[in-house]
Amino acid sequence: MPYLKEERPETLGVEGEWNIGAYTWKANRLLEEFVEGLKQRKLVGSLCFGCGKVIVPPRNLCGRCHRKMEGRVVVSDVGTVTCFIISPPIKRGKIKVLGMDPVEQGLIQEDEVIIPVFVKFDGADSNLGTLLIGADPKEVHIGMRVRAVWAKETRGELSDLEGVEPLR
Amino acid sequence: MMFRNVAIIGCGQTKHSSKRRDVSLPEMIEEAAWRAMEDAQVTPEEIDAIVVGNMQGFGGVAQPDQWIGDWIGAPGKPVMRIATGGTTGGSVGQGAIYAVASGMYDKVLAVAWEKHSDSKEPGATTGLLHVALANFFHAFNYGMNLKSLVATTVVGAAAGVAVYQAMFYMHRSGCRIEHFDMVAAKSRRNAAKNKYAHLQWPGCTPEDIAKTEMVAYPFRFGHICPASDGASAIVVAAEDIAKKKEDKAWVKGLASYSDEENQLMSESYGGVGILDASEQMGCRVSAMKAYRMAGITDPKREIDVAEIYQPFPSQELIFAERLGLFDEGKAWVALEEGEMEIDGRMPTDPSGGVLATNAIGSSALQRILEAALQVMGKAEEHQVPKEVRNAVAHGWGGVTNYTTVTVLGDSPR
Ligand SMILES: [Zn+2]
Repeated sequence: MPYLKEERPETLGVEGEWNIGAYTWKANRLLEEFVEGLKQRKLVGSLCFGCGKVIVPPRNLCGRCHRKMEGRVVVSDVGTVTCFIISPPIKRGKIKVLGMDPVEQGLIQEDEVIIPVFVKFDGADSNLGTLLIGADPKEVHIGMRVRAVWAKETRGELSDLEGVEPLR
Repeated sequence: MMFRNVAIIGCGQTKHSSKRRDVSLPEMIEEAAWRAMEDAQVTPEEIDAIVVGNMQGFGGVAQPDQWIGDWIGAPGKPVMRIATGGTTGGSVGQGAIYAVASGMYDKVLAVAWEKHSDSKEPGATTGLLHVALANFFHAFNYGMNLKSLVATTVVGAAAGVAVYQAMFYMHRSGCRIEHFDMVAAKSRRNAAKNKYAHLQWPGCTPEDIAKTEMVAYPFRFGHICPASDGASAIVVAAEDIAKKKEDKAWVKGLASYSDEENQLMSESYGGVGILDASEQMGCRVSAMKAYRMAGITDPKREIDVAEIYQPFPSQELIFAERLGLFDEGKAWVALEEGEMEIDGRMPTDPSGGVLATNAIGSSALQRILEAALQVMGKAEEHQVPKEVRNAVAHGWGGVTNYTTVTVLGDSPR
């Protein structure tokens, strides 16, 4: 007798809480140094004494040298766009992130165009992914010069760096 | 180098589609495994060991290796499961090659698969979501605001790392979106000649692809790979056994690579170690090592066909250059001149590749399998119309960047 292959759209659901605490080991102490820098409107990076590479935000290990990145440096808050994406106008009901509709939640305006960019801040050897704010999508290009946009009141958290804006 | 010569003596795969509702997970894998053993003319009893793998957590099954054993003839044998993200199939194939080359086993079966449709989550990304959530919540601990997190994810999620990679490549090579239309159309046309492929479109033109909706610049809907259900399998055997077989593809060289460039945004919001997402040094270094082992000094001349892991059209161009098949930044020029077509000078992905069929865990093993078929002259309608002495198969894994390169040929090393 063939196996019973009846399609069941709903199989098993479990209600309850999912403890992501299993990942507390991820708490990278270097991020504390980074957000402490943001509070003073400074971008802190780590420096590898092996190859001289500077990475922002700081990381523990230089993968290619396989040594601890022991140096600390502050890089410029002016940098260059190395890569970008221009979203289509975001519509209600079209996308879901983390299980929610960002337009419905008021996080993104209806028809808002979002421009995530990679920025290489002067003095850094790495890209930082952030948002380009206050730019005309038509003017965005690789090589575009941008400056960090800081929160009105910095509190020592990642959102102190709101994004970057065109350097005019 | 001291190891035994090894050859692929059998290949098997399933038909691919978005939903294989006619079979359960083990039944689907069984199809590919038995076809490979039939093709190799070996019985399950003759297989010494089995290497298996799919994407971690995909298809909603945490330990599929515990479910499929009986179906692929595993009882009483060593079974090794390998999972390296998108590269999984490449690592599974290379795992089987290592096992025979070492002298430990004479005949090893490699099986890889994905059954996306069994998972209810969009994209069947149980495993990825788990990791991603942990990273997100970690950032929240440091005051990441929800708006900027959602905004960066909204666009990135569409095609993730590949969009950034394509942008970098276009900027440094002069390649344009029209070239992505050409690669995608070629993949659909080639797939139409491959009876196992998923997205088949005979006679598809770049203009057809250009009419599809823009998802996230520079990718249109027509540029994106499907999520397929399917499995593939190969039988790897030692030299003395392979010599007695009529059809075989010799393993001439192989290499793999993992690097800190693997993380686009890096783990836990630590900085990234690489500037250009399309640099893909891992592929270049792996190719150089594998060619050296294979005794190939001029891949442009000595490689006859390539099976490249390309869920997005930009990747076929980027990796073709990294595999040394075209000059730096010039793959799109060769494409314009028809060199990458099935009947071109350097056919790439005559099977349609990952762009046409993406059962993720299986995709990189399929590259090895398809390269083997080309060497054996058994690719049927998508066989390249020329003598194939050497073929190269490539595997790559998404954001977590593992690379595999395997060189096959019609004679032992
Ligand atoms: Zn270093």
